[in-house]
Amino acid sequence: MSDLDRAIAQLRACRPIPEAQVRELCHKARELLIEEGNVVTVTAPVTICGDIHGQFHDLMELFRVGGDVPDTNYLFMGDFVDRGFYSLESFLLLLCLKVRYPDRMTLIRGNHESRQITTVYGFYDECLRKYGSANVWRYCCEVFDYLALGAIVLGASSTLEPSKQKVTASSNSLTSTQEYLDPDIEIEVLSSDGGIVKRFPRQKTVKTVGGNKSSSPAKTGAPGTGASGSSGGSVGNPGGAVLCVHGGLSPLIDTVDKIRLLDRKQEVPHEGAMCDLLWSDPDEIDGWGLSPRGAGFLFGADIVKVFNHANDLSLIARAHQLVMEGFKEMFDASIVTVWSAPNYCYRCGNVAAILELGEDGSGEGIISRSNGEVNRSDGGMPGLLKEKEKVLLSGPARRYRVFQAAPQDSRGMPAKKPVADYFL
Amino acid sequence: MSAQQIPNLLSLRGGPRSRGGRGRGRGPSTSDADHGISGSNARNRKDLDIQSTDTDAAVSRLSAVSLGYLHDPYAALFVAGGGTRRMPIINRGTYTRTTALDILINAFLAHQDPNQPQVKQIISLGAGTDTRYFRLRSQDKQHNLIYHEFDFPTVSETKRRTVLGNPMLSKLQEEEYIFPDPRHPPPSQTAEWGITQTKDGVSETTYCCHPLDLRQLPKIQTLQEILGLRNDIPTLVISECCLCYLDVDSSRDVVKWFSDRIPSLGIILYEPIGADDPFGQMMVANLAARGITMPSLRPYKTLLDQKTRLGELGFSKDSGGQEAETVEKIWEQWIPSTEKERVDSLEGLDEVEEWQMLARHYAVVWGWRGSLGWEGWNGLGTTTAS
Repeated sequence: MSDLDRAIAQLRACRPIPEAQVRELCHKARELLIEEGNVVTVTAPVTICGDIHGQFHDLMELFRVGGDVPDTNYLFMGDFVDRGFYSLESFLLLLCLKVRYPDRMTLIRGNHESRQITTVYGFYDECLRKYGSANVWRYCCEVFDYLALGAIVLGASSTLEPSKQKVTASSNSLTSTQEYLDPDIEIEVLSSDGGIVKRFPRQKTVKTVGGNKSSSPAKTGAPGTGASGSSGGSVGNPGGAVLCVHGGLSPLIDTVDKIRLLDRKQEVPHEGAMCDLLWSDPDEIDGWGLSPRGAGFLFGADIVKVFNHANDLSLIARAHQLVMEGFKEMFDASIVTVWSAPNYCYRCGNVAAILELGEDGSGEGIISRSNGEVNRSDGGMPGLLKEKEKVLLSGPARRYRVFQAAPQDSRGMPAKKPVADYFL
Repeated sequence: MSAQQIPNLLSLRGGPRSRGGRGRGRGPSTSDADHGISGSNARNRKDLDIQSTDTDAAVSRLSAVSLGYLHDPYAALFVAGGGTRRMPIINRGTYTRTTALDILINAFLAHQDPNQPQVKQIISLGAGTDTRYFRLRSQDKQHNLIYHEFDFPTVSETKRRTVLGNPMLSKLQEEEYIFPDPRHPPPSQTAEWGITQTKDGVSETTYCCHPLDLRQLPKIQTLQEILGLRNDIPTLVISECCLCYLDVDSSRDVVKWFSDRIPSLGIILYEPIGADDPFGQMMVANLAARGITMPSLRPYKTLLDQKTRLGELGFSKDSGGQEAETVEKIWEQWIPSTEKERVDSLEGLDEVEEWQMLARHYAVVWGWRGSLGWEGWNGLGTTTAS
């Protein structure tokens, strides 16, 4: 067993590794990450995960639900640290797995992977508490600076393969349906034991979208799951890549290639394209709006549709915002929020989700594509006016696995159980 | 790359046989609750858990003060050690809650006619380490004001010692003196203490702490048995997370005790609501893990429930009124935008969704009855309850 595997074993048991080993790990990780572009290319199948926020035991639950590394190819969209009590163990485990299985683990940067934010939201204090000095925090922050800003998923299938995860007996009659999958199913929502919560068929015709202003999706999940799919399904031609980014779009970025040109190896700036990618949120507005977070922007459906069209994208997957149901598709399924921290801050009572994109085996989904202006003449510019005529690329088939917080008795909690703050 | 090299995740998660921190009595307990309780009964235990919430509030207040959200020179005097820095959403919540109460109380205290100041009375229930009276003094607002605090005898005694031990708190003005005489030990732990002022040869209690378990209040027959309490002046009862810990019947009896005896009465409640949704359910479970239950959460789930509650307690439309607002709305609508910018710039608040969810689960509810003293509250309640 190599040192790295030993470190992985130790971290999986939620025990920090020695400072010297952290230093070595961070050094190796930096060497690896420096070779990655700002936008990493990932080939399906892939499991896309949202915020983790130091909820180590829930990260273990995520691996239980989504499959272990390297069996499952993972893409984490940032915010590994802060808020939870085990930021250190969570981030170092992910980093170890990245170094050990670089092709099966993609980590991109969230707005919390920043010196300034981690000093306010807990990671800095945690490192200080666990090591007695800020060295480990400093090593980690140096890694943060090298994390990619986004990822492009290629080769995602437009149909769902039967779920590979074992289905437990508790989902009884639903089990049999795992054998056969209707090729028209676009979205499938599974519970943590693999039981089917909901399926949505692909829409055959272009639906006129209207009266869709509500930001809260209709509850469609099974009782008690809180799961929803707000999407009526996407429309149009199959194909198209998926852009993964922590926050969202930027008014300074109209093509994916422009992301590639940024100088990312720095602390997250207070403004500008890099900041926006990590801080922005989709919202039910037209165009761009000011963000209540004080960084990044709000962007509306028109912005997403123009961007996706201009960049041959069928979907943007992002994290950054707590959604009670674990995931939320917006704007005719042109963008989805994936949230992977169940019962966020041990207080919010939400479920979490991960998004699985299958591998396209048919051949027809192998995409010849570009990320921007090179092959596309309109570069996103005139799209706005033509939106009604435009045929949007339909999303890949999407399987969401929804899961709850790890049971308390599985946590081997330290004597002092974390207490969520309230106003008392 | 083989998965064999990786230990099975599940085998590493502590199973039921693991350390078992939960098995050992109650899980978490806040510092103060653990003093000398061995052998005490469950009820005392529960009372101590509730008293510990005051420590929690004091720490939150100091956090918000240290970071510049609030100005309160007395906050540090009530927290042992250096305090703990709270998360930005907690700090913003502490700020908003305190500011909302300040707005309502200052409006109550404002004099319609400065030449003929009306003496007013405030009764703070479960005041604990609250510094409001001392803040009012520092703003020179203690004139024409009689301020009462009620809390458990142990809490009251701790506060008395803190006040006596800190010149900042015990500094008196002319014609003021502290009772009972601080040079001697108090006659008993249940003896009232406070400040008396002599004016034109007449002495009057202007600040009085009543060491009393509020559940005993309904057993007291007359107003005169409570030192310094008057029924002839506009009186405001404040419950900042106090009545919510009492049984619904007890809390109703407490408010009724005052409303049966004081004609011109107002009330401000600050407490959590919304126990039905996932956030609320988790709140109930998390508090239960600390030994805290809030009986008010069950009957009063919404702002409307809270308004109805006050209506039934006599703060009804015919003789007064009642209003309610969530902390979320108060932040949005009561805090001027320049002030919001100032507060936002202190730490930056990233967690917008979480803030909204948390702040939606706390309500400020206020009601009034009688014609005098409530003019300042006009127009503060702007939205209809949902």
